[in-house]
Amino acid sequence: MLPIHEHIVGELLQEDGLVVMGAGLGLAKVVASLLRLHSASEGVILVLCASEGQRIAIKEELLEQDPSAQIPTEINNEYTASDRLALYARGGVAFITSRILIVDLLNERVPLTRLSGLLFLNAHRLSDTCTEAFIARLYRASNRKGSIRAFSDKPHAMISGFSKAERIMRSLFVRRLHLWPRFHMSIAAALEENPPQVVDLRVPLTTSMHVIHSAILEVMDACLKELKKTNKLDVEDLTVENGLFKSFDEIVKRQLDPIWHTLSRKIKQLVNDLTTLRKLADYLLRYDAVTFLKYLDTLRASEDVRSVWIFANPTHKIFESAKRRVFQVVRIDTDSTIVLGRDNKLVRGCGRRNHASDMDVKRRKANDGSAAESCSATESVSKEQAGGTPQDVEVVVSAEEMPKWKVLREVLDEIREEMQLGDSTYQDDDSAVLIACKDERTCLLLQDVINKGSEKLMSEEWEKYLLGKAELHGIRTRKKGSNASARGTGILNGRTLTRAGNTEDAQVIRQEEAALLAAAVEVSSRGEGKGGRGRGRGRGRGRSRGGGSRRGNHDGKHDTGTDEVKNPSISGNIDKMEGILGDQNLSSEVKVKEADKSDNQQGMRSMPPVHFYAIDSEQRILDIVKPSFVIVYDPDMAFVREMEVYKAEHHINSMKVYFLFYDNSTEAQKFEASIRRENSAFESLIRQKASMMIPVDQDGRLLDASLSPQSISTSNALTRKAGGRKGPEKQMKVVVDMREFSSSLPCVLNQQGMKIIPVTLEVGDYILSPDICVERKSLADLLQSFGSGRLYHQAETMTRYYQIPVLLIEFSQDKNFSFQSANEIGEDINPHSIISKLSLLVLHFPRLRIIWSRSLHATADIFFTLKSNQDEPDVDKATRVGVPTEDGLIEGDLRAENYNSAAIELLRRLPGVTDANYRSLMDGCNSLAELACIPMEKLAEMMGGNRPARMLRDFLDAKCPVLT
Amino acid sequence: MEQARNAILVSRRQQGNPVLKHVKNVRWVFADIVPDYLLGQSSCALYLSLRYHLLHPDYIYFRIRELQKSFRLRIVLCFVDVEDVIKPLHEVTKIALLHDCTLLCAWSLVECARYLETIKIFENKPADAIQERIDNDYVSRLTSALTSVRHINKTDVLTLGSNFGTLAATMGASMEELARCPGIGERKVKRLYEAFHEPFRRTV
Repeated sequence: MLPIHEHIVGELLQEDGLVVMGAGLGLAKVVASLLRLHSASEGVILVLCASEGQRIAIKEELLEQDPSAQIPTEINNEYTASDRLALYARGGVAFITSRILIVDLLNERVPLTRLSGLLFLNAHRLSDTCTEAFIARLYRASNRKGSIRAFSDKPHAMISGFSKAERIMRSLFVRRLHLWPRFHMSIAAALEENPPQVVDLRVPLTTSMHVIHSAILEVMDACLKELKKTNKLDVEDLTVENGLFKSFDEIVKRQLDPIWHTLSRKIKQLVNDLTTLRKLADYLLRYDAVTFLKYLDTLRASEDVRSVWIFANPTHKIFESAKRRVFQVVRIDTDSTIVLGRDNKLVRGCGRRNHASDMDVKRRKANDGSAAESCSATESVSKEQAGGTPQDVEVVVSAEEMPKWKVLREVLDEIREEMQLGDSTYQDDDSAVLIACKDERTCLLLQDVINKGSEKLMSEEWEKYLLGKAELHGIRTRKKGSNASARGTGILNGRTLTRAGNTEDAQVIRQEEAALLAAAVEVSSRGEGKGGRGRGRGRGRGRSRGGGSRRGNHDGKHDTGTDEVKNPSISGNIDKMEGILGDQNLSSEVKVKEADKSDNQQGMRSMPPVHFYAIDSEQRILDIVKPSFVIVYDPDMAFVREMEVYKAEHHINSMKVYFLFYDNSTEAQKFEASIRRENSAFESLIRQKASMMIPVDQDGRLLDASLSPQSISTSNALTRKAGGRKGPEKQMKVVVDMREFSSSLPCVLNQQGMKIIPVTLEVGDYILSPDICVERKSLADLLQSFGSGRLYHQAETMTRYYQIPVLLIEFSQDKNFSFQSANEIGEDINPHSIISKLSLLVLHFPRLRIIWSRSLHATADIFFTLKSNQDEPDVDKATRVGVPTEDGLIEGDLRAENYNSAAIELLRRLPGVTDANYRSLMDGCNSLAELACIPMEKLAEMMGGNRPARMLRDFLDAKCPVLT
Repeated sequence: MEQARNAILVSRRQQGNPVLKHVKNVRWVFADIVPDYLLGQSSCALYLSLRYHLLHPDYIYFRIRELQKSFRLRIVLCFVDVEDVIKPLHEVTKIALLHDCTLLCAWSLVECARYLETIKIFENKPADAIQERIDNDYVSRLTSALTSVRHINKTDVLTLGSNFGTLAATMGASMEELARCPGIGERKVKRLYEAFHEPFRRTV
């Protein structure tokens, strides 16, 4: 806790408010100390909308501030209704999901007077009709004293839309906005008093990475130009530079969202393509060369035929260079090596570069499977092969390592030396090195890089890649034999040669493929020969020609290859990683134990433990590890702030931070832009705050403020049905499916004075009366559920059980009210268009009524009208409709929460699984993972027949086609 | 009479309706009928422009009453030709709902015409196109199964398939193995792992 955090808490205790903090400035610390000050005797405080990372961070922070503190309970679907009741009564602090709370509130299970406060995290996600606003309203209506506080650390998300902050405050009944930007004077002063020592390292990209990078930008530019031509967008923000940021998607989506459903396929495709390209630019810097190539392969196979970017000209360059970073296919002529490919000059240049850089060159012969063992240099092999047929091709492996890896090793070296110098500040036992990278994947990769050496890692990756190819080949060969075993390869086969424009190209590709396969055969046979022992061993052999590079041993029998690598930069200090992540455990921390290979000349030197940290996992790593050195492998603004706060808080003498940036890349730009973006967001919030109009009674604490649903209801009822049959004292009831609480309609219905009864419905979403059952579909849902056939099924069951089944097509208020633009309709009847599908639905369900609703409020009005001359719905009856009798329901049971719906949905889509047998499958095994291991006989027993069981088992075990 | 079976019968009241100009995929002929359009043995449609409705709010009610109960499918085809739709649309929705009519909205004359054409042509078409169907080849089935997990796309399915070999192996994969697949981020790993390993029924 810094004094500044205490200050923030103090302000909040005085008056409720919405706190917006800069990212990484210690939101969890503030929340934790606020919760610490609460005692159970005052009632219960409920924390809503907390992400998992936040929940963990707050708990840990709480324990650190006060080891005897009561840990907040997490109320989730494992709690039964009676457990929850006990908890509300007991008091204290609890995390809860909005869905559970709203259901409990509506069922009047929460003792509102005992509820002393609500605390909303991630306030930027709220809106005036969301479930949280609904909760706040119900709470305020019957408890005027309790506190409502809200937090956000994403200021840029608080300024999207018109006076968003003000609207959020109004819907949460708070009157104060507290802004705490990084540039706030007291924060800046606290953090800059004793800042960490920073070393900024700029790493250049390799030439081929650069080629790919600029090719991606080129394609992006082309896509953007296409997009501009459509005249649907404000072009000012559409630049390639912006295109590389994630926020670009938001800009485009925000502009296009109101008319999204009316756009042509091409525009949608372009927007998708831009996202794909942005990801690709990101992955180029984050994935190693082989993985990047693999991803590209996958992408090529899975991209839609309509995709624009994949057929753009520079895309070819991306694929070629990505390939060249990993391998080259060379044809062996008489005594010179000719590189295959359309662009010979470029390839040659690339080859030369390979020699100069730190490369692992290895070659394999294609026309016979035997290994070209211990071949050393390009020239010599070419001569060896001089007698071969002119068609001989071979694969030259040149998997390049990521430039940052080398720098990382050097930095680690430097750190070690610095500690050797005997500088007393680093002699503490608990001094540690922390490597912070974006995600778990990078952690694992870097761990391998340090552990095995990049050379070995790359060759392992390469082998995996080759084996993948070999497997595909195996499948194909089998296909020739029998059609039955070749399930699924059809599409992929078709795609293999898509890029082969003419016969020459086709030949090049065929040869390339043959060479790869030959190499793969070699690798796999070698792998088998060695049995279980040396799969990963001895493959990294090979050498590079640059000075100062590492070289492995040449002898294939000598298996301990990489351990003898003579590069002083890595081998000595970190030889063995232990505690490699357990299967279940996705912890981001990997301890590197002291070198246990004492035969190594550097083994004696001490090296502090190296920890890895995935920034995405949002853990409080700094407080746990207490590092003296931090290497920021992937720069991230919030993490930088966390380091600052940590430093200021602990008064450590020295902390050295290394930043690794790729020079001239998007990475550095992105980092700087994220800071700029946050600052400008805060400036805009400050301006908004100055001009806010906040009513005195916004906090809903004044006694005459009328916000109870009852009072609204009566006034509505009076104006709405003059001379209506029902007395105004009777409140209208709507039975709403539990799953509908992710939508805003229940909230709006309640605002209009209806009583919402949440239950689990098997049929329909809203039951307005014993006869009227409504299925709500937003436009996107409608299209999707037409596609999946779900809507047909729903219409069928609604028609079966209700007199007046209704399909509600809900347009969103801020979107264009239409299905599609007139010029998209076309000349002929298109069986796939929405018009055709809707016509078909109408023809098959003549009793199905359709409501076209312009907005949430229009829907609520229509519901009122429909209910006005109908009886109130019967809750018990509604819940029983369509439910098989064997699983009888307890009223109010959170049925939806008690099932793993994703797993069930997946299960039901497996071949052989039908409506009749999926329940018994669920009884017979616990999870999908378990199902995957059940033998055929037992499946037959559970599924009631051999045929479906055989279908399912075959599908589970079918070999997935590997991509070319 | 033979030709009338394959054509849309149009009431003479509709003479001069610009929608008719756009009905091109199906033949139509004028006839003496009660509804505006006769689209099949027992399906009919009434045409209503919202602008007209604003001028004559009772019109549609009387037209519906004339239809009596002789049709299985009774459509009110509503041409949305006003800016401020909420009030008139509310009224039309109410009338249609309370008098057993199916409301279809269209935003252009072409769209109106297209509904008439489509309903006529699809008169005897089975509902296959809107029922669930999965292509029978392996990749489509695998895609359909795995994409039921939120956020998983087609590329991810192929990535998973090629990394683990079989669906059974994918389901048994550890979090770490899932995280190693390119393109599968933290969030997707979590969702996949939950779907595979969490029990179907969460209650004990």
